[in-house]
Amino acid sequence: MDGGAQEMNELIVIFLSMALINNFILVRYLGLCPFLGVSKELGPAVSMGIAVTFVMIIASLATWLINHYILIPFDIQYMYIIVFILVIASLVQVIELFIKKTNIALYSAFGIYLPLITTNCAVLGVTIINMMGSYTLLESLVAALGGGLGFTLVLAIMAGIREKLELADTPRAMKGAPIALITATLLGLAFFGFVGIV
Amino acid sequence: MPAKDVFGRAFPVILLTAVVAICVSLLTYVGSITLPRIEALEVQKIQGMLSGMFPDMSRYTFEDEIYAIYSDEVRIGYAFVAVGKGYGGAINILVGLEDEATIKGITVISHTETPGLGSRITEDLFTGQFVRLSVDDAALRRDGGQIDAITGATISSRAVADAVRITAMEKVKVLEDSEEGG
Amino acid sequence: MGKFAQEFAKGLIITNPVLVLLLGLCPALAVSTSIDNALGMTLAVLIVLLGSNIIIAAMRNFVPSITRIPIFIVIIATLVTVVNLLFHAYLPDLHETLGIYLPLVVVNCIVLGRAEAFASKNPVVRSIADALGMTVGFMLALLMISLIRQMLGTGEMSVFGVHFFSLPVLSSRPVAIFILPPGGFLVIGLLLGLFKWTGVLKR
Repeated sequence: MDGGAQEMNELIVIFLSMALINNFILVRYLGLCPFLGVSKELGPAVSMGIAVTFVMIIASLATWLINHYILIPFDIQYMYIIVFILVIASLVQVIELFIKKTNIALYSAFGIYLPLITTNCAVLGVTIINMMGSYTLLESLVAALGGGLGFTLVLAIMAGIREKLELADTPRAMKGAPIALITATLLGLAFFGFVGIV
Repeated sequence: MPAKDVFGRAFPVILLTAVVAICVSLLTYVGSITLPRIEALEVQKIQGMLSGMFPDMSRYTFEDEIYAIYSDEVRIGYAFVAVGKGYGGAINILVGLEDEATIKGITVISHTETPGLGSRITEDLFTGQFVRLSVDDAALRRDGGQIDAITGATISSRAVADAVRITAMEKVKVLEDSEEGG
Repeated sequence: MGKFAQEFAKGLIITNPVLVLLLGLCPALAVSTSIDNALGMTLAVLIVLLGSNIIIAAMRNFVPSITRIPIFIVIIATLVTVVNLLFHAYLPDLHETLGIYLPLVVVNCIVLGRAEAFASKNPVVRSIADALGMTVGFMLALLMISLIRQMLGTGEMSVFGVHFFSLPVLSSRPVAIFILPPGGFLVIGLLLGLFKWTGVLKR
């Protein structure tokens, strides 16, 4: 296999692994708060997913640059937690302001989810995974895209199922979060099937 | 008079700066204590793995990223770290060589593969396959080698086998070059 | 003392952070594959939550509300980094098994949630009680989940290398799905249902 194809292959593996095999919600348990909170209806679930994906990509870019041009040269990589979380918090603020000023329709569609994203462990999670996996910039961006889309996919599937569950005769004690978690169990088992695809 | 009123409107900014400054100095201090210990632990870990791989090892040297293993001043092998790209990111593997063409054994130093699936690359059942294997055969069977992949973890298995073979070939070249030179 | 005990006790069951408030689900599921990991995560949360509650309660009277959240985040992130470094240097095995979930304590909703909802409005002593209660509540939830997952998933009852007993049948044929991710969802889903059900019974 020549270098280019090998590289392309590695990117595909990273993408599939982040999106399906090591899905943020179902396998890594990251981003569970929005999973339980906004997965009740399809529309908001998809908007939230896209917002998260967007922030993940921007955050991966920013933290990769900071890690490689500040933390590593100055030998202060151990401070990454404080640096990354501050970068994500300020990025979210900037993105929120930017969208509010430029596109009010977009802002009303997913602006309200942005403040929630700062404390979304999936965003900090993807930046830490990129750093620990020693990914290149391109690999980090692909990982963020894959992770974000996988997150959106599961959020959307879940919302679809929960819309139907509303009408089902669930035992009273299992209504809400418990049945959502049981559904996640079954989804997780289904996603195990993806392990064999590559 | 409370500090708030002395600084007036700049107070929030000053306070935030002060908090950041205090936190960073605290971290620098904690880092200065723990980082040397963390590095020492890493060295110790590699040392333990080396002596597990080469039970007769009496000392080793580390040059050009290659460990040369000696037993009573006789060189009995080499070792180096190979990095594979698995599902979850980098897989670091310590590879021991008996001579330029034969693998002595491998040990997974660290990985972030899926628990229960990819994580089985650390088990003896998998790593044992590399013992006394020719470097050229360190590839999955479906890629023309001698290694059986772990069921459901082909990518992780291939990442290890390929990293071992490719890195071993590179290191053998480095060794041959340095011997010609010296 | 009555107040202290009251603040402490509420975290155990009535407002159990994991099972009632649904906070900190991510670490609760990720590290509950074994009792050792559950206790290790509890130690990390204890240090961070206690530290942040004390510092934030002590500062509550002069932190302006406009920079409140950034200051909380900086303090919490510092504490998490300290814990991360200390674990790496002194408990390397635990540091490795907790993996990314140790740095992720910084976005654990319990920690920031208690800082915002409790410590920023209450005196230091009561904030200590709150932190201890929440941590014990977190520990109880994690122990419950990890006990079930470890027993069914491995069939062995051992803590920190000390082996207590093996279950018949299960130790030779463990139900591995329980230590895999879907098993975590199943156990916590059923536990939440159980908690709600007993609540339903009381009413």
